[in-house]
Amino acid sequence: MPNLPTPQERDAALSAFAATRTGREKPSQYWKIDLETLMPNASLDGAAGEVTIESASSRAIAVDLQTGARDHAALFERAFRRAIEPQHKFAHLALANARLGAFIYIPADCALDEPIVVRYRAAEGDITYASAQFAPQDARVIFTRVARPGRDARVAWASAELGASLSLTELVITIEEPGVDAKIATLFFPTGSQHVDIVSSVDHRIGDATSETLVKSAAAGRGQGRYLGNIRIAAHAQHSDASLRDDALLLSQTAHIDSIPALEIAANDVKAYHGATVGALDDESIFYMTSRGIDREAAERMIALGFFEPAIDRFPTEALREELRTALQAKVTS
Amino acid sequence: MSDQGLRVAGLRASVEGNEILKGIDLAVEPGKVHALMGPNGSGKSTLAFSLAGHPHYDVTAGSAVLDGEDLLTLAPDKRARAGLFLSFQYPAAIPGVKVPNFLYAARQAVRPGELTPGKFRTLLLEKMDVLGMDPSFLGRYLNDGFSGGEKKRLEMLQMAVLAPKYAVLDETDSGLDVDALQDVGDTIQALRASDEGKSTGFLIITHYPRILQHITPDVVHVMIDGRIVKTGGPDLAQRIEREGYDTLREETGALA
Repeated sequence: MPNLPTPQERDAALSAFAATRTGREKPSQYWKIDLETLMPNASLDGAAGEVTIESASSRAIAVDLQTGARDHAALFERAFRRAIEPQHKFAHLALANARLGAFIYIPADCALDEPIVVRYRAAEGDITYASAQFAPQDARVIFTRVARPGRDARVAWASAELGASLSLTELVITIEEPGVDAKIATLFFPTGSQHVDIVSSVDHRIGDATSETLVKSAAAGRGQGRYLGNIRIAAHAQHSDASLRDDALLLSQTAHIDSIPALEIAANDVKAYHGATVGALDDESIFYMTSRGIDREAAERMIALGFFEPAIDRFPTEALREELRTALQAKVTS
Repeated sequence: MSDQGLRVAGLRASVEGNEILKGIDLAVEPGKVHALMGPNGSGKSTLAFSLAGHPHYDVTAGSAVLDGEDLLTLAPDKRARAGLFLSFQYPAAIPGVKVPNFLYAARQAVRPGELTPGKFRTLLLEKMDVLGMDPSFLGRYLNDGFSGGEKKRLEMLQMAVLAPKYAVLDETDSGLDVDALQDVGDTIQALRASDEGKSTGFLIITHYPRILQHITPDVVHVMIDGRIVKTGGPDLAQRIEREGYDTLREETGALA
């Protein structure tokens, strides 16, 4: 087992995590957080789960981390070890945690006929999954994400579709156990001649569970977007609590967004909320900001970026949130 | 120095083809406090919006000049940069835009390059203290979920931070309790006492005279049916407090 950490190596990595100083113990004007106070909040031994991967391609590599480390040592080394900076406090922590995951390698000249399917199963489910899609303009991206959370599990998805000429995403959460708390947040912003199509489905098959779907979209240029939001609450799924909030902002005359919420509620003792808006930038908001000296373009930019902020807020790290803000800003000004 | 002042002459303005302002003449000198009083529907807010350049208000005649600069040819942002500030009666809520980011952008636009973000923050906290505003305001989105009183305080905070040459306060006092009214009065006094704001001229638009117990106007104008029917000193506000607008209306022959 050449590359993936053994239990001994994991312990060593954890000790190294504890022993390595960040040099940022004293908050100053340059940093505000004492990094030494950040500790992992989950016991590494307690976490259990598995990943299964299906791939029909003979040339692409799609395997779990252990197999990747064993059978594709050189490639794995390049992708994995190089991604983890040695001597860095949190790199040790990442290494200690590196057990459950997928290693996917697609050669540059390889086209896939069938999708690669990655399944995670966590024993104690509390999953935050974020993805930001910045694929190049000539790419077409097709994603399907499915979650079947277990009893009392919390699932939070955050996704952003910003790149590619065509992006099709299907998000499915099926609730078959009580106590589930499921959250979907997605944002998309087709510009130029991009086309984004997103379908989300939350299926409450059992009661006493909560779901929340938040969608923020904008379109500019000749960008086209379509969002179809399904919420289903089965007849016996009493005490379900489902909400769907979907706001779309049109930034040009030629841009188009279809927003189609579909609520199917068969139970009678549930809370279900749905709200949707489609519109252009609000004149009163623009006037208010310009009356403070901010020029019209900057005001429009600030309002449009602010519009996305509730969805951006659902992404797990500040670095990722900043990356999204930067990408959205570039799209607003393009 | 004769072109100093906010000078409005013969101003007529319409909304959707209905003439609301029927020739307004008014001049606010630097450092002076003017009160503009009048019953509901007399055109006070139309004057405020016309000065600030709201796109729904058509100015059909007359002039509005700020320290020699013709306001009416300028876009709203340029009017603010010329030194005009309007405190809104119903400010817009803008989700996702944080209060300090907005205020910094506005301050940089109106007074470019004077303050680093760090110094700006210090200034902001200082002004918030005068207004009795909790620092948690800095984490909130612009007017989003604000109560009426919180919105008015934020308007006053903006005025304090931007330190305009002329501030038009459109019914900033409406809906405020006595404490909030006192804070508004204190903010105006603090601005007038500061270096940046010692020559700020004020046009305080109000329906009720009670704000004028917290700040004494140099001049009081009464507007009825789109015209200024009377101009006087602080005693005019006291008279309105006693008699209301009806006797003035009869006396000046204004239409009911």
